[in-house]
Amino acid sequence: MTESPGDQKKQESADTSADRRSFFAILSGGLAMLAPIGAGFWSFLSPLFSRAKSPQVRVALLDQVPADGLPHLFPVVADRQDAWTHYEAQKIGAVYLIRQPGENKPIALTAKCPHAGCSIGYAADEEKFKCPCHTSAFRIDGCRVNGDEEVAPRDMDSLEVETRTLENHSGESPIIEVLVTFVDYKTGHSSKIVSE
Amino acid sequence: MINRASSIIDWIDSRTGIKAVLHEALYERVPGGARWRYVWGSTLVVAFVTQAITGIFLWMAYSPSTQTAWESVFYIQEVLPGGWLVRGIHHYMASMMVILLAIHFVQVVWDGAYRAPRELNFVLGLVLMLIVLGLSLTGYLLPWDQKGYWATNVGTELASQAPVAGGAIKKLAVGGPSYGHHTLTRFFALHAGVLPGALVAFLALHLILFRRHGLTPKQPAAGPDTMFWPDQVLKDSVAALGVLVAVLVATIYTHGAELTAPADPANNYAAARPEWYFLFLFQFLKWFPGEWEVWGAFVLPGIIVGVLFLMPWIGRSKIGHFFNVAFLVVLLGGAALLTVEAWQDDFLASGADALFDESGLEDTIENRLKLHGIEDTQENRESFIASREFLKARQDGHHNAQRVIALAKANGIPPTGALTLAYEDPYLQGPLLFKQNCSSCHNYENTETPDPHLKYLVNKKPTAPNLYGIGTRTWIEGLLHPEKIAGAHYFGYQGSPFAGEGDNTEMVDFIQECFGDDLDPEKRQEIEIAMKKIAAALSAEAQLPNQSKADEQTIAAGRALIEGGLANLVESGMSCTDCHSFGQQQDIGSPVLDGYMSRSWLMDFIRNPSAERFYGDLNDRMPSFAPHQDTRLNQLDDQSLGLIVDWLRSQWVRPSEPEDSQ
Repeated sequence: MTESPGDQKKQESADTSADRRSFFAILSGGLAMLAPIGAGFWSFLSPLFSRAKSPQVRVALLDQVPADGLPHLFPVVADRQDAWTHYEAQKIGAVYLIRQPGENKPIALTAKCPHAGCSIGYAADEEKFKCPCHTSAFRIDGCRVNGDEEVAPRDMDSLEVETRTLENHSGESPIIEVLVTFVDYKTGHSSKIVSE
Repeated sequence: MINRASSIIDWIDSRTGIKAVLHEALYERVPGGARWRYVWGSTLVVAFVTQAITGIFLWMAYSPSTQTAWESVFYIQEVLPGGWLVRGIHHYMASMMVILLAIHFVQVVWDGAYRAPRELNFVLGLVLMLIVLGLSLTGYLLPWDQKGYWATNVGTELASQAPVAGGAIKKLAVGGPSYGHHTLTRFFALHAGVLPGALVAFLALHLILFRRHGLTPKQPAAGPDTMFWPDQVLKDSVAALGVLVAVLVATIYTHGAELTAPADPANNYAAARPEWYFLFLFQFLKWFPGEWEVWGAFVLPGIIVGVLFLMPWIGRSKIGHFFNVAFLVVLLGGAALLTVEAWQDDFLASGADALFDESGLEDTIENRLKLHGIEDTQENRESFIASREFLKARQDGHHNAQRVIALAKANGIPPTGALTLAYEDPYLQGPLLFKQNCSSCHNYENTETPDPHLKYLVNKKPTAPNLYGIGTRTWIEGLLHPEKIAGAHYFGYQGSPFAGEGDNTEMVDFIQECFGDDLDPEKRQEIEIAMKKIAAALSAEAQLPNQSKADEQTIAAGRALIEGGLANLVESGMSCTDCHSFGQQQDIGSPVLDGYMSRSWLMDFIRNPSAERFYGDLNDRMPSFAPHQDTRLNQLDDQSLGLIVDWLRSQWVRPSEPEDSQ
């Protein structure tokens, strides 16, 4: 049996129609799935568009920072919003303040290790900063003990310090507070890059 | 009965075809007969099913948020009947799964079971392995305890260093700029939803392909072919039972998985380490200084995983297969070595203090190294010190965890979470605050009968009194003792104005004169008894909750002595109220003894020791910690002050003694 030209035509148009139907089946099914997936990813990806804040925080009174040239650890207390919970005056980190004899303004070093973000401790008997995770060590000025041989890729991060006089009692020494801009820097780089 | 049962089965089968499916599943041909060496894949399936079962039951009791995660795991572990067992099985089976994975993997590579046509199934197996490791990483954070929190922090910090997308990966994992509720909800969704779902899907594919190709028979065949059911299933089941027994033994032996103290973003846990099977990666990072870190964290591990995925194609030739086996041996051997090294680094100094105490040597690093038989090099010194710090942090962490758990068990957890328990506990916070604010001058040391559960803060060169036990009868008796009062623990500290060469030695002189050298023993005893009564009366002012009450008569007698009675006994003809205000004798002088060492007296004292009521101008060194009305101007807030004072007065909750007994 041979197919007549008419049969062939019919067959072709049936094929195209089947193709068209497959196309629309996939399209409409896909679109139907796109809505929940899209909505889900919209919320899931939202943290990418939020930015970390770098608050200026009062860390201590100048009187609390001994002018002995040695590091002293102070908690950083600030209000914090964690999703639905608002914390008033919560400890959000810690900084070392170092005040040289005779100076009226300390320097601040963040306790977060530039290697992998652990909290650096201060070993008073060795006069050294030491990270408990991967053995990075820093001198009391925050420089790495072994320079570029050190596990940490850069020296400890210094933070901007501002002092502000609060009250001047008659005849007494003024009360000065120490404020630090608490910036979170990215770990693992040889230069300071602000985490966004 | 049997007929009815079989007719029900037939009814179901005619509608579902279940019999054929079962037959297909169970009557797989096992070439060369059932063997023990074929059990490993099955034990992995059983391990995963165990995780799914225990995981679902844990899920029913777990609540992922920063104020409820630790709290709910605490509840599972300590209160919920059987909770510790479910959690313990889940914990140890996770470790077991990694071991089983390693065995399964080594066997497949060793036997060359990845060769055509099984390449894709090998690849699926590797994907499954990565999913299992992902489950382990995400699960570690969920208890929101110090260990998991700080170890995971390092993990996400490292992830942020990944080339190109690192920052985005970290943000998506953490769910915001810093750890919080959404870190937990995301990790939990991954751990209990996305990853197990993916695992089930990939496992199904893995098994379908496995059935399609059959198992790779070990030559020579041990015997004639048999069927999967029942011979191989029997061996598989026995192996699975063995695995479960091992997990149960570990669980019961340790009474379940550890729960460290609640995660505290403000206090780093210096002994945080990843799970043991990730320790080699942790140790590996120590090899990569500076910006080479990315090589240790990503590039090399990436290349290694890449090689693993290519193994079926590398192994086509004999040499290639040899390479694969050698690569795996080096990889596992290296990982084992790194793990041992990491462990040695951390535990180098373990048992050090016990060893040291026995030796009676001077406490120097040289002596300590010698005792451990470690060569005295700069590197060894540093490792030794680092290890001591690790062990100390671990011990402190354990101590804190025990304390918070005990508090939570005794009185429940407030809605703000378990961290509040820790922050409001004088027993935990007192030593920290004392160290920050007081210990550069003061000691806190029980010199007579040290209690191993108490934290002592020893200052080798004190420039102020030892504050251990202040206000107790024992402590006041020491203050009224002719030698003790002039010793370093009371007024005889370095540069003291109140003893030795000082300008204001009246008190010390008075006490010493009371016990003059020419006293006859009878008189001496009489004065000693009087001092004990005074101590009882003064100590009663402190109202220490933790000290048994002295009897009323002794207190009354003591009060009478303070208010003038003592003058009739001692040669100087003076009593306490010749200098101090107390009771009926007011406006005499300071420090005022009313309420001496009571909570409010001590709070006011620390707020401003130079106040008229206390030392006035005689205070030559102690700072005023909170003299101002405006709290912003003060060094210490009322909460911190209260914690220090309560700790000094040993006023903290003691869960072992039920509160209602008081």
